[in-house]
Amino acid sequence: MSSEPTREESAGLMKYSVENLVPFGPIHPALKEPEYFKLVLEGERIVQVIPRIGYVHRGLEKAAETRPWVQNMYMFERTCGICSFVHSLCYGQAVEGLTMYEVPKRAKYIRLIIAELERIHSHLLWVGLMGHWAGFETLFMWVWRDRELVLDIVEAISGNRVHKSMNAFCGVRRDMPENMEDKIIEKMKYLAGRAQYYRGIIDTEETMLERTENIGRVSADTAEKLCAVGPMARYVGIQHDIRLNDPYAAYDEVPFSIVTRNDGDVLGLLRLRLDELIVSTELVSYAVKHLPDGPIRVKIPPIIPAGEHSAHCEAPRGEIFYYVKSTGGRTPDRVKSRQPTMANLPTALEILKGQTIADVPVVLTAIDPCFGCMDRMSFIDTETNHKWIWSGEQLRQYGINYYRKRRTKN
Amino acid sequence: MSEVFLQRIGEYASDAETKATLLREHEILVEVDQTHVKQLISKIWNDGLTRRLSTISGLDLGQNIGIVYHFWQGEDKLHIRTTVPKSTPTALSIVEIVPGAILYEMEIHDLFGVTFVGNPWVDRKLLLPDDWPADLPPPLLKTSKPTEIRKRLKLEVERK
Repeated sequence: MSSEPTREESAGLMKYSVENLVPFGPIHPALKEPEYFKLVLEGERIVQVIPRIGYVHRGLEKAAETRPWVQNMYMFERTCGICSFVHSLCYGQAVEGLTMYEVPKRAKYIRLIIAELERIHSHLLWVGLMGHWAGFETLFMWVWRDRELVLDIVEAISGNRVHKSMNAFCGVRRDMPENMEDKIIEKMKYLAGRAQYYRGIIDTEETMLERTENIGRVSADTAEKLCAVGPMARYVGIQHDIRLNDPYAAYDEVPFSIVTRNDGDVLGLLRLRLDELIVSTELVSYAVKHLPDGPIRVKIPPIIPAGEHSAHCEAPRGEIFYYVKSTGGRTPDRVKSRQPTMANLPTALEILKGQTIADVPVVLTAIDPCFGCMDRMSFIDTETNHKWIWSGEQLRQYGINYYRKRRTKN
Repeated sequence: MSEVFLQRIGEYASDAETKATLLREHEILVEVDQTHVKQLISKIWNDGLTRRLSTISGLDLGQNIGIVYHFWQGEDKLHIRTTVPKSTPTALSIVEIVPGAILYEMEIHDLFGVTFVGNPWVDRKLLLPDDWPADLPPPLLKTSKPTEIRKRLKLEVERK
Protein backbone atom coordinates (compact mmCIF):
# COMPACT_ATOMS: atom_id res chain seq x y z
CA MET A 1 0.00 0.00 0.00
CA SER A 2 1.29 3.42 -0.89
CA SER A 3 1.10 6.22 1.62
CA GLU A 4 -0.46 8.58 -0.92
CA PRO A 5 -4.01 9.60 -0.06
CA THR A 6 -6.78 7.99 -2.08
CA ARG A 7 -8.96 10.12 -4.32
CA GLU A 8 -11.79 10.03 -1.78
CA GLU A 9 -9.46 11.18 0.97
CA SER A 10 -7.96 14.01 -1.02
CA ALA A 11 -11.39 15.16 -2.12
CA GLY A 12 -12.53 15.35 1.50
CA LEU A 13 -15.18 12.70 0.93
CA MET A 14 -14.22 10.44 3.84
CA LYS A 15 -16.72 12.13 6.11
CA TYR A 16 -19.50 10.65 3.99
CA SER A 17 -18.68 7.17 5.26
CA VAL A 18 -22.29 6.27 6.13
CA GLU A 19 -23.99 7.45 3.01
CA ASN A 20 -23.65 5.93 -0.40
CA LEU A 21 -21.07 7.32 -2.73
CA VAL A 22 -21.89 7.01 -6.40
CA PRO A 23 -19.16 7.62 -8.94
CA PHE A 24 -20.97 8.87 -12.01
CA GLY A 25 -19.08 8.55 -15.27
CA PRO A 26 -16.50 9.34 -16.50
CA ILE A 27 -16.70 8.62 -20.15
CA HIS A 28 -18.02 7.03 -23.20
CA PRO A 29 -16.86 9.41 -25.88
CA ALA A 30 -19.66 8.51 -28.26
CA LEU A 31 -21.77 11.50 -27.30
CA LYS A 32 -20.78 15.14 -26.72
CA GLU A 33 -18.32 15.95 -23.95
CA PRO A 34 -17.76 13.48 -21.13
CA GLU A 35 -17.95 14.64 -17.55
CA TYR A 36 -17.82 12.78 -14.29
CA PHE A 37 -19.95 13.34 -11.22
CA LYS A 38 -19.51 11.82 -7.82
CA LEU A 39 -22.93 11.56 -6.20
CA VAL A 40 -23.25 11.27 -2.43
CA LEU A 41 -26.55 9.68 -1.46
CA GLU A 42 -28.76 9.36 1.54
CA GLY A 43 -31.01 6.48 0.55
CA GLU A 44 -32.45 7.61 -2.77
CA ARG A 45 -31.78 11.33 -2.30
CA ILE A 46 -28.67 13.08 -3.53
CA VAL A 47 -27.02 15.24 -0.86
CA GLN A 48 -23.81 16.34 -2.58
CA VAL A 49 -22.43 16.33 -6.12
CA ILE A 50 -18.77 16.76 -6.98
CA PRO A 51 -17.80 17.37 -10.61
CA ARG A 52 -14.67 16.26 -12.40
CA ILE A 53 -14.29 17.51 -15.95
CA GLY A 54 -11.39 17.69 -18.36
CA TYR A 55 -11.46 14.18 -19.82
CA VAL A 56 -11.37 15.60 -23.31
CA HIS A 57 -9.43 18.76 -22.47
CA ARG A 58 -7.25 19.13 -25.56
CA GLY A 59 -5.34 22.25 -24.53
CA LEU A 60 -6.81 24.47 -27.27
CA GLU A 61 -5.81 27.65 -25.39
CA LYS A 62 -2.18 26.51 -25.34
CA ALA A 63 -2.35 25.37 -28.95
CA ALA A 64 -3.74 28.77 -30.00
CA GLU A 65 -0.55 30.48 -28.82
CA THR A 66 1.50 28.74 -31.51
CA ARG A 67 -0.90 29.10 -34.44
CA PRO A 68 -1.63 32.06 -36.74
CA TRP A 69 -4.65 34.21 -35.91
CA VAL A 70 -6.77 32.97 -38.78
CA GLN A 71 -6.00 29.31 -38.23
CA ASN A 72 -7.23 29.63 -34.65
CA MET A 73 -10.64 30.68 -35.90
CA TYR A 74 -11.21 27.28 -37.50
CA MET A 75 -9.57 25.47 -34.60
CA PHE A 76 -11.90 27.07 -32.06
CA GLU A 77 -14.83 26.20 -34.29
CA ARG A 78 -13.97 22.57 -33.50
CA THR A 79 -14.54 23.13 -29.77
CA CYS A 80 -18.10 21.89 -30.09
CA GLY A 81 -19.82 19.60 -32.54
CA ILE A 82 -23.22 21.24 -32.10
CA CYS A 83 -22.78 24.97 -31.65
CA SER A 84 -19.62 25.26 -33.74
CA PHE A 85 -20.38 28.49 -35.62
CA VAL A 86 -20.87 30.65 -32.56
CA HIS A 87 -17.37 29.82 -31.31
CA SER A 88 -15.71 31.14 -34.46
CA LEU A 89 -18.10 34.11 -34.44
CA CYS A 90 -17.18 35.03 -30.87
CA TYR A 91 -13.44 34.56 -31.39
CA GLY A 92 -13.74 36.54 -34.62
CA GLN A 93 -15.50 39.42 -32.88
CA ALA A 94 -12.88 39.49 -30.14
CA VAL A 95 -10.11 39.79 -32.76
CA GLU A 96 -12.03 42.23 -34.98
CA GLY A 97 -12.25 44.56 -31.99
CA LEU A 98 -8.46 44.95 -32.11
CA THR A 99 -8.44 45.94 -35.79
CA MET A 100 -9.78 49.11 -37.41
CA TYR A 101 -11.99 47.32 -39.93
CA GLU A 102 -15.79 47.20 -40.00
CA VAL A 103 -17.79 44.08 -40.80
CA PRO A 104 -19.99 44.61 -43.92
CA LYS A 105 -23.72 44.70 -43.27
CA ARG A 106 -24.52 41.74 -45.49
CA ALA A 107 -22.00 39.61 -43.62
CA LYS A 108 -23.63 40.57 -40.32
CA TYR A 109 -26.99 39.32 -41.59
CA ILE A 110 -25.51 36.07 -42.90
CA ARG A 111 -23.85 35.54 -39.50
CA LEU A 112 -27.20 36.04 -37.82
CA ILE A 113 -28.92 33.56 -40.15
CA ILE A 114 -26.34 30.83 -39.53
CA ALA A 115 -26.28 31.47 -35.77
CA GLU A 116 -30.07 31.19 -35.56
CA LEU A 117 -30.19 28.06 -37.73
CA GLU A 118 -27.64 26.59 -35.35
CA ARG A 119 -29.82 27.49 -32.38
CA ILE A 120 -32.83 25.78 -33.99
CA HIS A 121 -30.79 22.66 -34.67
CA SER A 122 -29.32 22.60 -31.15
CA HIS A 123 -32.68 23.11 -29.43
CA LEU A 124 -34.34 20.42 -31.56
CA LEU A 125 -31.53 18.02 -30.71
CA TRP A 126 -32.02 18.77 -27.03
CA VAL A 127 -35.82 18.34 -27.07
CA GLY A 128 -35.35 14.96 -28.75
CA LEU A 129 -32.85 13.83 -26.15
CA MET A 130 -35.15 14.94 -23.33
CA GLY A 131 -37.79 12.68 -24.85
CA HIS A 132 -35.28 9.83 -25.02
CA TRP A 133 -34.17 10.10 -21.39
CA ALA A 134 -37.73 10.49 -20.13
CA GLY A 135 -38.75 7.31 -21.96
CA PHE A 136 -40.78 9.05 -24.69
CA GLU A 137 -39.04 7.61 -27.75
CA THR A 138 -41.64 8.82 -30.27
CA LEU A 139 -40.85 12.44 -29.51
CA PHE A 140 -37.16 11.72 -30.09
CA MET A 141 -37.87 10.22 -33.53
CA TRP A 142 -40.16 13.07 -34.61
CA VAL A 143 -37.89 15.87 -33.45
CA TRP A 144 -34.73 14.43 -34.93
CA ARG A 145 -36.50 14.00 -38.27
CA ASP A 146 -37.40 17.69 -38.22
CA ARG A 147 -33.83 18.57 -37.30
CA GLU A 148 -32.73 17.19 -40.67
CA LEU A 149 -34.57 20.07 -42.39
CA VAL A 150 -32.36 22.62 -40.62
CA LEU A 151 -29.22 20.66 -41.36
CA ASP A 152 -30.20 20.53 -45.04
CA ILE A 153 -30.51 24.32 -45.14
CA VAL A 154 -27.16 24.73 -43.37
CA GLU A 155 -25.58 22.33 -45.84
CA ALA A 156 -27.03 24.23 -48.80
CA ILE A 157 -25.61 27.51 -47.47
CA SER A 158 -22.22 26.43 -46.16
CA GLY A 159 -21.52 23.05 -47.72
CA ASN A 160 -21.33 21.31 -44.35
CA ARG A 161 -23.84 20.07 -41.81
CA VAL A 162 -21.98 20.79 -38.58
CA HIS A 163 -18.61 22.52 -38.99
CA LYS A 164 -19.70 25.30 -41.30
CA SER A 165 -16.39 27.22 -41.46
CA MET A 166 -18.43 30.19 -42.68
CA ASN A 167 -16.64 32.89 -40.71
CA ALA A 168 -13.64 34.93 -41.68
CA PHE A 169 -12.20 38.01 -39.98
CA CYS A 170 -14.48 40.95 -40.83
CA GLY A 171 -16.91 38.96 -42.93
CA VAL A 172 -18.03 35.52 -44.05
CA ARG A 173 -16.43 33.20 -46.57
CA ARG A 174 -19.51 32.28 -48.60
CA ASP A 175 -22.46 34.26 -49.84
CA MET A 176 -26.04 33.01 -49.48
CA PRO A 177 -26.99 30.78 -52.42
CA GLU A 178 -29.41 32.30 -54.94
CA ASN A 179 -33.11 31.39 -55.02
CA MET A 180 -33.03 29.92 -51.51
CA GLU A 181 -35.20 32.60 -49.93
CA ASP A 182 -38.64 31.06 -50.51
CA LYS A 183 -37.43 27.59 -49.63
CA ILE A 184 -35.94 28.74 -46.30
CA ILE A 185 -39.04 30.74 -45.35
CA GLU A 186 -41.31 27.81 -46.18
CA LYS A 187 -39.24 25.41 -44.08
CA MET A 188 -39.09 27.87 -41.20
CA LYS A 189 -42.88 28.12 -41.24
CA TYR A 190 -43.15 24.36 -41.16
CA LEU A 191 -40.69 24.13 -38.25
CA ALA A 192 -42.52 26.80 -36.27
CA GLY A 193 -45.70 24.77 -36.74
CA ARG A 194 -43.96 21.63 -35.55
CA ALA A 195 -42.56 23.43 -32.48
CA GLN A 196 -46.08 24.62 -31.66
CA TYR A 197 -47.29 21.03 -31.97
CA TYR A 198 -44.57 19.68 -29.64
CA ARG A 199 -45.40 22.45 -27.21
CA GLY A 200 -48.97 21.09 -27.08
CA ILE A 201 -47.71 17.54 -26.58
CA ILE A 202 -45.46 18.53 -23.69
CA ASP A 203 -48.28 20.36 -21.94
CA THR A 204 -50.65 17.39 -22.13
CA GLU A 205 -48.61 14.17 -22.39
CA GLU A 206 -48.46 12.49 -19.02
CA THR A 207 -45.10 10.75 -19.53
CA MET A 208 -43.41 14.09 -19.98
CA LEU A 209 -45.35 15.93 -17.29
CA GLU A 210 -44.59 13.28 -14.70
CA ARG A 211 -40.87 13.29 -15.40
CA THR A 212 -40.40 17.05 -15.71
CA GLU A 213 -42.95 18.94 -13.64
CA ASN A 214 -41.61 20.28 -10.33
CA ILE A 215 -38.25 18.63 -10.98
CA GLY A 216 -35.02 20.60 -10.97
CA ARG A 217 -36.23 23.66 -9.09
CA VAL A 218 -33.94 26.59 -8.38
CA SER A 219 -34.63 30.14 -7.25
CA ALA A 220 -33.74 33.19 -9.34
CA ASP A 221 -31.43 34.50 -6.63
CA THR A 222 -29.46 31.25 -6.45
CA ALA A 223 -29.17 31.02 -10.23
CA GLU A 224 -27.87 34.58 -10.39
CA LYS A 225 -25.32 33.99 -7.62
CA LEU A 226 -24.12 30.83 -9.31
CA CYS A 227 -23.63 32.77 -12.57
CA ALA A 228 -26.12 30.74 -14.62
CA VAL A 229 -26.30 31.75 -18.28
CA GLY A 230 -28.69 31.36 -21.20
CA PRO A 231 -31.82 29.21 -20.85
CA MET A 232 -30.74 28.22 -17.32
CA ALA A 233 -31.06 31.87 -16.27
CA ARG A 234 -34.09 32.69 -18.41
CA TYR A 235 -36.23 29.84 -17.02
CA VAL A 236 -36.20 31.47 -13.59
CA GLY A 237 -37.01 34.90 -14.99
CA ILE A 238 -33.56 36.52 -15.32
CA GLN A 239 -33.22 38.67 -18.46
CA HIS A 240 -29.94 37.11 -19.55
CA ASP A 241 -29.59 37.06 -23.33
CA ILE A 242 -26.54 38.63 -24.99
CA ARG A 243 -28.50 39.08 -28.22
CA LEU A 244 -30.64 41.63 -26.41
CA ASN A 245 -28.32 42.86 -23.63
CA ASP A 246 -25.31 43.56 -25.81
CA PRO A 247 -26.33 43.13 -29.47
CA TYR A 248 -23.76 41.82 -31.93
CA ALA A 249 -23.97 40.82 -35.64
CA ALA A 250 -27.28 42.23 -36.91
CA TYR A 251 -29.31 41.68 -33.74
CA ASP A 252 -29.71 45.41 -33.18
CA GLU A 253 -31.44 45.77 -36.57
CA VAL A 254 -33.94 42.91 -36.48
CA PRO A 255 -37.10 42.89 -34.37
CA PHE A 256 -37.28 40.08 -31.82
CA SER A 257 -38.08 39.45 -28.19
CA ILE A 258 -36.41 37.04 -25.82
CA VAL A 259 -38.39 34.43 -23.92
CA THR A 260 -38.27 34.29 -20.13
CA ARG A 261 -40.38 32.11 -17.87
CA ASN A 262 -40.98 31.85 -14.17
CA ASP A 263 -41.82 28.19 -13.64
CA GLY A 264 -38.24 27.23 -12.82
CA ASP A 265 -38.48 23.48 -13.40
CA VAL A 266 -37.47 21.12 -16.19
CA LEU A 267 -40.90 21.44 -17.79
CA GLY A 268 -40.35 25.21 -17.89
CA LEU A 269 -37.04 24.64 -19.68
CA LEU A 270 -38.79 22.51 -22.30
CA ARG A 271 -41.43 25.17 -22.89
CA LEU A 272 -38.78 27.90 -22.96
CA ARG A 273 -36.57 26.19 -25.51
CA LEU A 274 -39.52 25.41 -27.80
CA ASP A 275 -40.72 29.03 -27.58
CA GLU A 276 -37.20 30.22 -28.35
CA LEU A 277 -37.16 27.94 -31.34
CA ILE A 278 -40.24 29.68 -32.74
CA VAL A 279 -38.60 33.09 -32.21
CA SER A 280 -35.51 31.84 -34.04
CA THR A 281 -37.53 30.66 -37.05
CA GLU A 282 -39.09 34.14 -37.27
CA LEU A 283 -35.66 35.74 -37.00
CA VAL A 284 -34.28 33.63 -39.85
CA SER A 285 -37.30 34.40 -42.07
CA TYR A 286 -36.97 38.13 -41.37
CA ALA A 287 -33.22 38.20 -42.00
CA VAL A 288 -33.54 36.23 -45.25
CA LYS A 289 -36.23 38.63 -46.51
CA HIS A 290 -34.31 41.76 -45.53
CA LEU A 291 -30.83 40.63 -46.52
CA PRO A 292 -28.97 43.79 -47.61
CA ASP A 293 -26.82 43.92 -50.75
CA GLY A 294 -23.12 44.59 -50.73
CA PRO A 295 -19.79 42.93 -50.08
CA ILE A 296 -19.57 39.99 -47.68
CA ARG A 297 -16.01 40.42 -46.54
CA VAL A 298 -13.19 42.88 -45.93
CA LYS A 299 -9.68 41.47 -46.25
CA ILE A 300 -7.48 42.27 -43.27
CA PRO A 301 -3.71 41.86 -42.84
CA PRO A 302 -2.53 38.71 -41.01
CA ILE A 303 -0.87 40.72 -38.21
CA ILE A 304 -3.25 41.92 -35.51
CA PRO A 305 -2.29 45.13 -33.61
CA ALA A 306 -1.23 44.80 -29.98
CA GLY A 307 -3.95 45.06 -27.37
CA GLU A 308 -6.57 43.17 -25.41
CA HIS A 309 -10.19 42.60 -26.26
CA SER A 310 -13.04 40.41 -25.18
CA ALA A 311 -16.32 39.44 -26.79
CA HIS A 312 -19.36 37.48 -25.78
CA CYS A 313 -22.16 35.91 -27.82
CA GLU A 314 -25.34 34.00 -27.13
CA ALA A 315 -24.76 30.34 -27.99
CA PRO A 316 -27.74 27.95 -27.89
CA ARG A 317 -26.71 27.03 -24.32
CA GLY A 318 -25.99 30.54 -23.08
CA GLU A 319 -23.27 33.12 -22.97
CA ILE A 320 -20.00 32.21 -24.61
CA PHE A 321 -16.94 34.31 -23.87
CA TYR A 322 -13.61 34.89 -25.61
CA TYR A 323 -10.73 37.05 -24.44
CA VAL A 324 -7.72 37.68 -26.71
CA LYS A 325 -4.41 39.38 -26.02
CA SER A 326 -2.10 40.38 -28.84
CA THR A 327 1.47 41.60 -28.73
CA GLY A 328 1.36 42.60 -32.40
CA GLY A 329 2.63 39.33 -33.79
CA ARG A 330 1.39 36.66 -36.14
CA THR A 331 0.11 34.52 -33.27
CA PRO A 332 -1.97 35.46 -30.21
CA ASP A 333 -0.26 35.92 -26.85
CA ARG A 334 -3.25 34.49 -25.02
CA VAL A 335 -6.73 33.29 -25.93
CA LYS A 336 -9.23 32.45 -23.22
CA SER A 337 -12.48 30.75 -24.07
CA ARG A 338 -15.31 29.98 -21.69
CA GLN A 339 -18.17 27.73 -22.73
CA PRO A 340 -21.72 27.97 -21.38
CA THR A 341 -21.74 24.49 -19.82
CA MET A 342 -18.83 25.52 -17.58
CA ALA A 343 -20.88 28.48 -16.37
CA ASN A 344 -24.01 26.39 -15.86
CA LEU A 345 -22.32 23.53 -14.02
CA PRO A 346 -22.51 25.08 -10.49
CA THR A 347 -26.25 25.64 -10.99
CA ALA A 348 -26.72 22.07 -12.22
CA LEU A 349 -24.94 20.71 -9.14
CA GLU A 350 -27.21 22.80 -6.93
CA ILE A 351 -30.32 21.54 -8.74
CA LEU A 352 -29.26 17.89 -8.38
CA LYS A 353 -29.21 18.16 -4.59
CA GLY A 354 -32.42 16.71 -3.22
CA GLN A 355 -33.33 14.82 -6.38
CA THR A 356 -33.56 11.02 -6.60
CA ILE A 357 -31.32 8.76 -8.70
CA ALA A 358 -34.24 8.25 -11.08
CA ASP A 359 -34.26 11.96 -11.91
CA VAL A 360 -30.52 12.25 -12.60
CA PRO A 361 -30.69 11.62 -16.37
CA VAL A 362 -33.51 14.12 -16.90
CA VAL A 363 -32.04 16.84 -14.69
CA LEU A 364 -28.56 16.51 -16.16
CA THR A 365 -29.97 16.55 -19.68
CA ALA A 366 -31.98 19.64 -18.78
CA ILE A 367 -28.92 21.88 -18.61
CA ASP A 368 -27.99 20.58 -22.08
CA PRO A 369 -24.55 19.21 -21.22
CA CYS A 370 -23.28 15.78 -22.20
CA PHE A 371 -24.57 12.28 -21.84
CA GLY A 372 -21.38 10.41 -22.55
CA CYS A 373 -20.77 10.43 -18.82
CA MET A 374 -23.79 8.27 -18.19
CA ASP A 375 -22.15 5.14 -19.46
CA ARG A 376 -20.00 2.99 -17.18
CA MET A 377 -21.39 4.10 -13.89
CA SER A 378 -20.56 2.20 -10.77
CA PHE A 379 -22.50 2.31 -7.50
CA ILE A 380 -20.87 1.65 -4.20
CA ASP A 381 -22.77 1.03 -1.00
CA THR A 382 -20.24 2.01 1.63
CA GLU A 383 -22.21 0.34 4.42
CA THR A 384 -22.08 -3.18 3.05
CA ASN A 385 -19.21 -2.54 0.63
CA HIS A 386 -21.48 -3.91 -2.08
CA LYS A 387 -20.54 -2.74 -5.57
CA TRP A 388 -22.50 -2.86 -8.76
CA ILE A 389 -22.20 -1.28 -12.18
CA TRP A 390 -24.88 0.30 -14.33
CA SER A 391 -24.57 1.52 -17.87
CA GLY A 392 -26.31 4.70 -19.00
CA GLU A 393 -29.04 2.58 -20.58
CA GLN A 394 -29.66 0.74 -17.30
CA LEU A 395 -29.92 4.05 -15.47
CA ARG A 396 -32.45 5.23 -18.06
CA GLN A 397 -34.48 2.05 -17.58
CA TYR A 398 -34.27 2.44 -13.81
CA GLY A 399 -35.74 5.93 -14.10
CA ILE A 400 -38.55 4.79 -16.38
CA ASN A 401 -39.41 1.78 -14.18
CA TYR A 402 -39.27 3.89 -11.01
CA TYR A 403 -41.95 6.19 -12.37
CA ARG A 404 -43.97 3.31 -13.86
CA LYS A 405 -44.10 1.59 -10.45
CA ARG A 406 -45.08 4.82 -8.77
CA ARG A 407 -47.87 5.29 -11.29
CA THR A 408 -49.34 1.81 -10.75
CA LYS A 409 -49.14 2.25 -6.98
CA ASN A 410 -51.26 5.38 -7.19
CA MET B 1 -25.63 54.24 -18.89
CA SER B 2 -21.96 53.85 -19.45
CA GLU B 3 -21.10 57.19 -17.85
CA VAL B 4 -22.92 56.36 -14.62
CA PHE B 5 -21.30 52.93 -14.63
CA LEU B 6 -17.85 54.43 -15.22
CA GLN B 7 -18.37 57.03 -12.52
CA ARG B 8 -19.40 54.50 -9.90
CA ILE B 9 -16.57 52.15 -10.85
CA GLY B 10 -14.26 55.16 -10.49
CA GLU B 11 -15.52 55.79 -6.94
CA TYR B 12 -15.04 52.16 -5.95
CA ALA B 13 -11.60 52.11 -7.53
CA SER B 14 -10.44 55.17 -5.62
CA ASP B 15 -11.59 53.45 -2.40
CA ALA B 16 -9.30 50.59 -3.38
CA GLU B 17 -6.41 53.03 -3.99
CA THR B 18 -6.39 52.65 -7.77
CA LYS B 19 -8.17 54.14 -10.76
CA ALA B 20 -10.39 52.99 -13.59
CA THR B 21 -9.28 53.46 -17.20
CA LEU B 22 -11.59 53.48 -20.19
CA LEU B 23 -10.10 51.02 -22.69
CA ARG B 24 -12.59 51.85 -25.43
CA GLU B 25 -16.26 52.70 -25.55
CA HIS B 26 -18.21 50.59 -23.01
CA GLU B 27 -15.07 48.84 -21.75
CA ILE B 28 -13.37 49.63 -18.45
CA LEU B 29 -10.18 48.22 -16.96
CA VAL B 30 -9.35 48.47 -13.26
CA GLU B 31 -5.87 47.37 -12.25
CA VAL B 32 -5.93 46.68 -8.54
CA ASP B 33 -3.57 45.41 -5.91
CA GLN B 34 -4.12 41.83 -4.71
CA THR B 35 -4.98 42.96 -1.17
CA HIS B 36 -7.86 45.14 -2.39
CA VAL B 37 -9.41 42.96 -5.07
CA LYS B 38 -11.80 41.07 -2.81
CA GLN B 39 -13.09 44.24 -1.20
CA LEU B 40 -13.59 45.88 -4.62
CA ILE B 41 -15.50 42.92 -6.08
CA SER B 42 -17.56 42.60 -2.91
CA LYS B 43 -18.71 46.24 -3.24
CA ILE B 44 -19.48 45.95 -6.95
CA TRP B 45 -21.39 42.69 -6.49
CA ASN B 46 -23.28 43.49 -3.30
CA ASP B 47 -24.33 46.97 -4.43
CA GLY B 48 -25.82 45.35 -7.52
CA LEU B 49 -23.69 47.37 -9.96
CA THR B 50 -23.20 44.16 -11.89
CA ARG B 51 -24.30 40.59 -11.19
CA ARG B 52 -22.77 39.09 -14.31
CA LEU B 53 -19.37 37.41 -14.07
CA SER B 54 -18.33 36.03 -17.47
CA THR B 55 -15.23 34.25 -16.30
CA ILE B 56 -11.82 34.65 -14.68
CA SER B 57 -8.76 34.45 -16.95
CA GLY B 58 -5.16 33.79 -16.09
CA LEU B 59 -2.29 35.53 -17.89
CA ASP B 60 1.42 34.84 -17.95
CA LEU B 61 3.10 38.25 -17.50
CA GLY B 62 6.71 37.12 -17.14
CA GLN B 63 7.57 37.59 -13.44
CA ASN B 64 3.91 37.68 -12.42
CA ILE B 65 0.68 35.88 -13.13
CA GLY B 66 -2.24 38.12 -14.03
CA ILE B 67 -5.77 37.28 -12.91
CA VAL B 68 -8.55 39.08 -14.79
CA TYR B 69 -12.17 39.08 -13.60
CA HIS B 70 -14.50 39.78 -16.53
CA PHE B 71 -17.80 41.37 -15.51
CA TRP B 72 -20.47 42.89 -17.73
CA GLN B 73 -23.72 44.75 -17.39
CA GLY B 74 -25.76 45.60 -20.48
CA GLU B 75 -23.35 46.95 -23.08
CA ASP B 76 -20.67 47.76 -20.51
CA LYS B 77 -17.77 45.47 -19.80
CA LEU B 78 -15.58 45.65 -16.74
CA HIS B 79 -12.23 43.94 -16.39
CA ILE B 80 -10.64 43.85 -12.95
CA ARG B 81 -7.00 42.85 -13.17
CA THR B 82 -4.69 41.86 -10.37
CA THR B 83 -1.30 40.18 -10.29
CA VAL B 84 0.40 37.62 -8.07
CA PRO B 85 4.14 36.86 -8.15
CA LYS B 86 5.16 33.55 -9.73
CA SER B 87 7.36 32.75 -6.74
CA THR B 88 4.38 32.76 -4.32
CA PRO B 89 1.26 32.27 -6.46
CA THR B 90 -1.43 32.76 -3.81
CA ALA B 91 -4.57 34.81 -4.27
CA LEU B 92 -7.71 35.43 -2.23
CA SER B 93 -10.79 33.51 -3.37
CA ILE B 94 -14.01 35.37 -4.20
CA VAL B 95 -16.23 32.29 -3.82
CA GLU B 96 -17.78 33.73 -0.62
CA ILE B 97 -19.03 36.71 -2.62
CA VAL B 98 -19.63 35.08 -6.00
CA PRO B 99 -20.35 31.35 -5.48
CA GLY B 100 -20.40 30.78 -9.25
CA ALA B 101 -16.67 31.57 -9.47
CA ILE B 102 -15.69 28.25 -7.87
CA LEU B 103 -14.92 26.37 -11.08
CA TYR B 104 -13.14 29.32 -12.70
CA GLU B 105 -10.74 29.49 -9.76
CA MET B 106 -10.17 25.75 -9.90
CA GLU B 107 -9.37 26.09 -13.61
CA ILE B 108 -6.73 28.78 -12.95
CA HIS B 109 -5.32 26.64 -10.15
CA ASP B 110 -4.89 23.76 -12.58
CA LEU B 111 -3.54 25.70 -15.54
CA PHE B 112 -1.49 28.46 -13.84
CA GLY B 113 -0.76 27.01 -10.42
CA VAL B 114 -2.37 29.86 -8.47
CA THR B 115 -3.75 28.76 -5.10
CA PHE B 116 -6.96 30.53 -4.11
CA VAL B 117 -7.22 30.83 -0.34
CA GLY B 118 -10.82 30.31 0.73
CA ASN B 119 -11.96 28.17 -2.21
CA PRO B 120 -13.35 24.96 -0.65
CA TRP B 121 -12.33 22.77 -3.60
CA VAL B 122 -8.94 24.29 -4.33
CA ASP B 123 -6.97 21.12 -3.51
CA ARG B 124 -8.86 19.09 -6.08
CA LYS B 125 -8.11 18.78 -9.76
CA LEU B 126 -10.68 19.94 -12.28
CA LEU B 127 -9.05 19.69 -15.71
CA LEU B 128 -5.66 18.05 -15.27
CA PRO B 129 -5.33 14.29 -14.76
CA ASP B 130 -5.23 13.05 -11.15
CA ASP B 131 -1.72 11.69 -11.66
CA TRP B 132 -0.29 14.92 -13.09
CA PRO B 133 3.36 15.03 -11.90
CA ALA B 134 3.75 17.67 -9.18
CA ASP B 135 7.13 18.88 -10.45
CA LEU B 136 5.86 19.73 -13.96
CA PRO B 137 5.19 23.46 -14.45
CA PRO B 138 1.49 24.39 -14.83
CA PRO B 139 0.66 23.89 -18.54
CA LEU B 140 -0.43 27.41 -19.52
CA LEU B 141 2.75 29.13 -18.34
CA LYS B 142 4.98 30.24 -21.23
CA THR B 143 7.85 28.15 -19.86
CA SER B 144 5.83 24.98 -20.20
CA LYS B 145 6.33 23.21 -23.54
CA PRO B 146 3.71 20.79 -24.90
CA THR B 147 6.37 18.41 -26.27
CA GLU B 148 8.01 18.11 -22.84
CA ILE B 149 4.67 17.51 -21.14
CA ARG B 150 3.82 14.81 -23.66
CA LYS B 151 7.20 13.13 -23.22
CA ARG B 152 6.97 13.21 -19.44
CA LEU B 153 3.41 11.88 -19.29
CA LYS B 154 4.40 9.04 -21.62
CA LEU B 155 7.24 8.16 -19.25
CA GLU B 156 4.81 8.17 -16.31
CA VAL B 157 2.49 5.76 -18.12
CA GLU B 158 5.40 3.43 -18.93
CA ARG B 159 6.58 3.54 -15.31
CA LYS B 160 3.24 2.12 -14.24
